[in-house]
Amino acid sequence: MIEKTLTVTNKLGIHARPAGMIVDITGPAKSDVYIVFEGTKANAKSILNVMMLAIPLGSEVRFEVDGEDEQEVVQKLEQLFHDNFNEEPN
Amino acid sequence: MPESRFKDLNILHREKLPVRGFFDNYGKDLQLAQYSPDEDLDTSIAESGIHRPGLAMAGYTKVYSSEQIQVVGHTEWNYLESLGPEGRKKVFDSLSVFRAPMWVVTHAQKPHDELRDMCHKLHIPLFSTTLHTYEFNKGAQRILEEYFAPHAVIHGSLVDVYGIGMLFVGDSNVGKSECVLDLVESGHRMVADDVVHISHVGNAIIGRPDPIVRHHMEIRGVGLLDIRSMFGIHAIRKVKKIEVIVELQPWQRDARYERTGLNEFDESIMGVKIPKVVLPVAPGKNLTVISEVIAMNTLMKMNGQNVAKDFNENLMQRIKAKGKCGEPAFEMDIDQWSLYE
Repeated sequence: MIEKTLTVTNKLGIHARPAGMIVDITGPAKSDVYIVFEGTKANAKSILNVMMLAIPLGSEVRFEVDGEDEQEVVQKLEQLFHDNFNEEPN
Repeated sequence: MPESRFKDLNILHREKLPVRGFFDNYGKDLQLAQYSPDEDLDTSIAESGIHRPGLAMAGYTKVYSSEQIQVVGHTEWNYLESLGPEGRKKVFDSLSVFRAPMWVVTHAQKPHDELRDMCHKLHIPLFSTTLHTYEFNKGAQRILEEYFAPHAVIHGSLVDVYGIGMLFVGDSNVGKSECVLDLVESGHRMVADDVVHISHVGNAIIGRPDPIVRHHMEIRGVGLLDIRSMFGIHAIRKVKKIEVIVELQPWQRDARYERTGLNEFDESIMGVKIPKVVLPVAPGKNLTVISEVIAMNTLMKMNGQNVAKDFNENLMQRIKAKGKCGEPAFEMDIDQWSLYE
């Protein structure tokens, strides 16, 4: 299992569109993926779970990825956060 | 997105509308009374539109749409009336060079003898209608527009779901017919299965069944079914505008499907953009209920309600508020404080 903490740097936070991009990565993956924010752990393959967390700009979120393609999933997530979900940074 | 399956449609145009067929099919609707012998009905309309020959009667014949229906309206009638028999004879002598497909006199007026003579001589069908000119023109124009509209045949199934015309497309064997059958079972109306004749009228794509296949469908392993006799007259429909396209795809692990509904996709059929939904098909998915939901969602969008957008706006507001005060979101939500009963 890999645990990875990422910082949200896009202006609008994780609203529906970024949440959709996260599940596009986690959904097809073979690994189990969880997202932890403010002590709440949610299934990162479910868009409603991810949106429920209402993660604002500047937050740190932790991903817990467990499975055969965990490396690949973490790498993709890192890239996605790094690219600010193709949105405006702060 | 893969290339549009409607890109290389073989688009057909009808060249001629036989007046006999026009009269047989629409004569009653247009309230036409026949003034010519039956054997004179063998002309054809070759152009959409209605021609008012007023200017030509007054002497200007340089531009004359002789392929269209000629309509003697209130204006032309009164002008002819004012000319007297001699003048009328002159007018129709000069118009004899044009062999129009048909002449119609509106407002239930009796055609003048001079017009009757010309039509008789040239074997042009002559009718009178009880409709007003604009009513006749409107009705005839609609028929002509649909008749001369560009049309094509596509592979797919068209169903009216809650009044929304849903076109199901997808490769053979993906389960279109089964989906249609299930929808019909739930009380929706089938327009066409497997083969849809579409035409581009105005800014819409209209779908009809094939004249031979009509209300039949084929279910692999069972054979041909007659939906009308099996489910009753309410299970079928003859024509419907296509309002949403549903593409059925075998479910693939790596394929990306729309998750929020914020991104809307269109598919262009003969230049008309129609919203499109791509649905993965997998065991355990109830396509009927999903189709009904797509239809209802389309209805809501038509009524100006976009759920995905509204939801996201609310969510973004929450995120913004949270970022400012750092409080958990439910602190602001009164619903979270209501006690259970």
